[in-house]
Amino acid sequence: MLTGSKTTFKVRQMLPDIKERMLSQSGVNARSRDVFGLRCLPGECVLQRAVMVRKKLTAREGRGWLSGTLFCTHFRVAFVPQDSPRPDDNADPVLLGDHDVALASIEKVVVVGPNRTKLVTPNSSLKFTPEELVLYCRDLRVICFLFDRLTPDAQVLEITYTIAKTYQPPKPGSVLSFQNAALGSVEMKQFLSNRRRNAHMNWYESVSDWEQELERCGAMGWRVSSVNDRFEMSTSLSRFIVVPHKVLDTELKKSFAHFNEGRIPRWCWRHPRGSDLLRMASFQNNIYHEKDDIRNLEMILFGCQSSLCVVVELAEELPSPADIQLAHSRLRALCLGDISTSVSVPDDKWLSTLESTHWLDYTRSCLKKASEVACLLRGGHLTVALQEADDRDLSCVVSSLVQVMCDPHCRTQHGFQSLVQKEWVMAGHRFYSRINYHRDNDKEEAPVFLLFLDCVWQLLSQYPSRFQLTDDFLLALHDSIHLPLFSSFLANCQRERCKRSQNLGQSYTPVNGWRDMLHPDSSSDPCDPPLPPVWDWDLQYSKHRRDRFTQPVPPVPPLQPLLNGNLNTNPDTHRLADTLPGSVFLLSRGTFSCPANLLPWRSTSSGPYKKSHRRAASSENVPGLERLLKAWALTEFPQALTSTSGPQGPLDPYEPLLPLLMGPCMGLWRECYLRGALHAQAFSHPISANHLHPVERLAQEVQQLKDKLAQVSTGTDGIPSTKTAEPRRTDANLNQNTNNGTFLFPAVRPQSKAAPRMTPPPTSTTTNHQQTSRGPPPASAPPSRPVRRDNGGGSNSGNKHTFLFGHSSVTEARTYPAPNNAKLPKSNGPSLAS
Amino acid sequence: MASPISVYNSNALDTHISSTSRESLKMELLADVSLLPGEDRIIDKDIIYICPFNGAVKGKVLITNYRLYFKSSDADVAVMLDVPLGAISRVEKMGGASSRGENSYGLDITCKDMRNLRFALKQEGHSRRDIFELLFKYAFPLSHSLPLFAYVTQEKYEESGWNIYKPMEEFRRQGLPNNKWRITFINKNYELCDTYPTVLAVPFKSKDEDLRRVAAFRSRGRIPVLSWIHRENQAVIVRCSQPLVGMSGKRNKDDERYLDMIREANDTPKLTIYDARPNVNAVANKATGGGYEGDEYQNAELIFLDIQNIHVMRESLKKLKDIVYPNVEESHWLSSLESTHWLEHVKLVLSGAIQVADKVSSGNSVVVHCSDGWDRTAQLTSLAMLMLDSHYRTLRGFQVLIEKEWISFGHKFASRIGHGDKNHADQDRSPIFVQFIDCVWQMTKQFPTAFEFNERLLLTILDHLYSCRFGTFLYNCENARDQHEVRSKAVSLWSLVNSKMDIYLNPFYTPESGRVLYPVASMRHLELWVTYYIRWNPRIQQQQQSPVEQRYKELLALRDEYLKKLEELQLSDSSPSSRLANSSTPNTSSTSSTPSQQYTHLQTPL
Repeated sequence: MLTGSKTTFKVRQMLPDIKERMLSQSGVNARSRDVFGLRCLPGECVLQRAVMVRKKLTAREGRGWLSGTLFCTHFRVAFVPQDSPRPDDNADPVLLGDHDVALASIEKVVVVGPNRTKLVTPNSSLKFTPEELVLYCRDLRVICFLFDRLTPDAQVLEITYTIAKTYQPPKPGSVLSFQNAALGSVEMKQFLSNRRRNAHMNWYESVSDWEQELERCGAMGWRVSSVNDRFEMSTSLSRFIVVPHKVLDTELKKSFAHFNEGRIPRWCWRHPRGSDLLRMASFQNNIYHEKDDIRNLEMILFGCQSSLCVVVELAEELPSPADIQLAHSRLRALCLGDISTSVSVPDDKWLSTLESTHWLDYTRSCLKKASEVACLLRGGHLTVALQEADDRDLSCVVSSLVQVMCDPHCRTQHGFQSLVQKEWVMAGHRFYSRINYHRDNDKEEAPVFLLFLDCVWQLLSQYPSRFQLTDDFLLALHDSIHLPLFSSFLANCQRERCKRSQNLGQSYTPVNGWRDMLHPDSSSDPCDPPLPPVWDWDLQYSKHRRDRFTQPVPPVPPLQPLLNGNLNTNPDTHRLADTLPGSVFLLSRGTFSCPANLLPWRSTSSGPYKKSHRRAASSENVPGLERLLKAWALTEFPQALTSTSGPQGPLDPYEPLLPLLMGPCMGLWRECYLRGALHAQAFSHPISANHLHPVERLAQEVQQLKDKLAQVSTGTDGIPSTKTAEPRRTDANLNQNTNNGTFLFPAVRPQSKAAPRMTPPPTSTTTNHQQTSRGPPPASAPPSRPVRRDNGGGSNSGNKHTFLFGHSSVTEARTYPAPNNAKLPKSNGPSLAS
Repeated sequence: MASPISVYNSNALDTHISSTSRESLKMELLADVSLLPGEDRIIDKDIIYICPFNGAVKGKVLITNYRLYFKSSDADVAVMLDVPLGAISRVEKMGGASSRGENSYGLDITCKDMRNLRFALKQEGHSRRDIFELLFKYAFPLSHSLPLFAYVTQEKYEESGWNIYKPMEEFRRQGLPNNKWRITFINKNYELCDTYPTVLAVPFKSKDEDLRRVAAFRSRGRIPVLSWIHRENQAVIVRCSQPLVGMSGKRNKDDERYLDMIREANDTPKLTIYDARPNVNAVANKATGGGYEGDEYQNAELIFLDIQNIHVMRESLKKLKDIVYPNVEESHWLSSLESTHWLEHVKLVLSGAIQVADKVSSGNSVVVHCSDGWDRTAQLTSLAMLMLDSHYRTLRGFQVLIEKEWISFGHKFASRIGHGDKNHADQDRSPIFVQFIDCVWQMTKQFPTAFEFNERLLLTILDHLYSCRFGTFLYNCENARDQHEVRSKAVSLWSLVNSKMDIYLNPFYTPESGRVLYPVASMRHLELWVTYYIRWNPRIQQQQQSPVEQRYKELLALRDEYLKKLEELQLSDSSPSSRLANSSTPNTSSTSSTPSQQYTHLQTPL
């Protein structure tokens, strides 16, 4: 069957000369396509293939089976369904097709034979012909292939062996060869080096990036300092940090020594009511505080707010990284089940076992802490400094959760990406160690970032209409974490990242020998594949999948850029503003205190502070602060929240999304954790391609009514002007939430350029109405409007179905555009002709 | 701030407070209650509501012959209660005239819909006696020889909901009668079986004498009759009660032959009998004359589905109430939930229905029974039919399903719910129908595009299961309903529902026939129906609608507005029709019609 295919080898002969083979392949036939329809990456070659295989479809894919051809290359296990359209040879390469899984994502290979299952290792030999091949993935997917009787036995065995041999069980050093397989070809390197980075998000790599953020938040009194430009002040901080205007770089330099790892208090974000969010590591003890130092330290800590600073200690109520790791591994074990060991929690013990993983407790505690901080910030005019021992784990979680809750911009895809870039990638979350790609540093492993994603998902599931990003996006990000291909995750801080990409190497001493871990053999090899950032989604996923990253209908309310930092409507702030300048409180376990040793330089034992700056511990401010927290408890009552949605009453876009944290309100992210569970896969009813979505149908109908109304009203002179005057207002009101857009996709957000793909020319309904009511428009005007609208709606409808529901199987989805497009001319017939 | 009323309540219950000024609020606290036609004031009184979420709230209570309405007089704590008296299962006095402590003297009201209410009164005179006695009387009218409110109400609707289900029409829709199944009127006068409907579908070959002999061998004469037939493979769902085998293991040749006729009707080698009970319970039933089909039934296999009886379900829901009302058990929530076993019971019901549906869709006829065939049997057949037949997933089809499998086949609503009956501890009470609606909700969660109706319909149905405002769920069987002339004297719930269908429609619905829905019956995929069971907790906010749903509602409002405007214009314009007729698009013909017609247009695929 396979003779004649030059790319197929017996695996045993194949393995030694992968590299050689690869080199010979690339260049000759860069955009090669396998005869069975697999679109290979440049330089990728097929090691083995099996025909007439069926893939079990997951819940999202619509369940059932899809038959096609299974491939194993040295980068991925790919599956090409029968009758899938021929790939476009000229399109840019996409790393993973909709049915593919990267070898590095695979954790375990299991085969199911007649009455038995077996874990397949590189050294296994099978005494039976598998009927089913199950790939357990690190990202909690379980992919299941069924070999039909039509699949030749030899192919079944060969592909099983090949996958088992090449999937790279965790061992140090295997990552690089995987990276090379994916990105190492000359073409791929060229391709990657020519990629333009996403300009819609903030990368926080330059001074101007940070300045842009300061401007967006309306944060006055802060400046970007490049004092750490060469990572001399702090190795783990980013090049540029934001500090108060009034502190000079020379003064700043002296303060690094007072903090663990030199992670001084830095500005993260400003709440529109004028409070600032800061992050810092714990104080260095045993250091003498000179008078000047103290002045600087206080200035840095208080930032622009002279009066009040609340230090939020994160360690106390939040799980430690070790806790998170333990909880996550329990959750994994619980959710995956495992047919190779046939250990599965009995269904009637599911709930209590889920509880005992503590995963949901940890999500809840992070959300709770972030809610407290959000409420404090809402009070206005104070500084909240998050403090964690090394400021690199839970500090990332809480600071970014606070922003997701308070800043609508962070709930868009690009805003969220910028947020992760700011609070995780640039802030030096140790992705590389926490993910533990090499399985060589288990002590450090902790999926802190995954806990954060779960928290965001909880918010999303409680406030679906306030997010522009979708859980498909969160899921894609979740899965990408497990792929050791992205510069965003393959380093612990910006310094490491810079060293890798620019080979600054020689001038800096390696810390912790990270370099050796990363590249055991060829660290400075200029041939290392360039690693793309995770945000290069075009590279990772098909358009079909990327389209589902954002809501088909934009969130309510319209997302506006934050204009200035002085939106001050809260009466509580006055009370707080009265406080003595320089008060510092500690928030811990929901209460405020001012322990003597909170700031080491103020504590009695230490230095000159005592003499000069001694202030009374102003406990009269505590009630004011507590009121802020109490406000949170109150907003948990429904009316405060429900009044925010709905057509009446525009809601304050800066009102934080405070999650409900009661047991019944915390959900399990089933779409992520349970998508692999073999025994139980819920699926959604796949939508059929032949029907318009009801919303579309209704939108069309309303449009027609409106046109008709326009016609009628222009015909009956005089009368309508009075009659339509009043309804016009309601009309505008109704659309207020949705920013006066078109019917189906009402709002065009000004700053997001991602929206246009789904937005027809932005014609506001109000202007349309004004036309009709302000006297007779030209006769052709009303009919011409629906043309544009319908075009917009129609061309989108193919997409919309799929990302509305996201469940139609790929084959169905691919046939979508046809019926819809076919319908279009019909409904538009007369108007197109005009 | 907090009104313990979920936004998703049925309309009858959420007469929202209009924004009145503080003064008028105090003066005319109860002025804005919109009473139903036929609803009369009984008493009103100053009272203190001991709200479990806000503490004691002063206000005024109004009791009518339909509802208990409370509104706080303090504008800062805007609490409003609107409870149909039918939802009350128990009223008790708490504290005596001499009891000390604030608010210790008053009323304690237990409701059927997962909440309790406490009111405190001043300890002066006999302030409590009047209100207690009146409340007791009107909450339990049947115990006081008063009519249920359904007989008092003067509500009028354009369409009568009683016409939604016509047995013959439904049989015809299924393709019956045919050459294997006939329709019999043998039970015209409820002589064969007093708890069955009058129109029954039975095997074509069976003679009326056969039916009578079979009836003698089935508990309460509930013989095996057809509920649903698969259009393509002609496999059927047949329901009945247990055979009267007894301790001695009696046999009945007629019954055996009758079941074989069912099997022969679509010519499959084996008939599957699903006994909903756990095996041990079925055995135990022999002691009281019941039992199950033994080996003497040739060509039949018997499968037990392990669903517990009404008492277990009642206790399970009671435990659930304990952990969610008034306060949600915070620590160890999931373990507590697990220990109620409620979701596990839901799972067993669903998985039983899945087995039935699967058997039928693979071409085998099934017989379903439990003990009497009116509780678990109704759950199983109706859920299986919901999985198999997309018609039942439409708004009207679902009404037909309930009318057919529950109401006409004699689910004992009166006994299970205890409408107007003061005997709250009656052992016949059980939330079997609530459990069924919960199962339906689980299915709508797993198949968000497969159902034409939304969660609001399910909530409305459950609210009026208790309210006694409609005749739909009154009495135990058709026989009793005929005797009490429910159809002529009371209004159907479906009249209300179908008069404003738009609020019950699911915008995600995509009609697709011919697909069997198999929900996942695993604890991993079942959820607690928070928006029903915990809806009185003010912290459980309304589940936010998805943006698409919101958009849909906005569009609905816009459309109605345009239609109204168009109508106005047409009235003022002498010759609008000619202008309308030549409008451009194909849809136009239907768009100029009235709103109610619009919806039917929406339901039919273009």
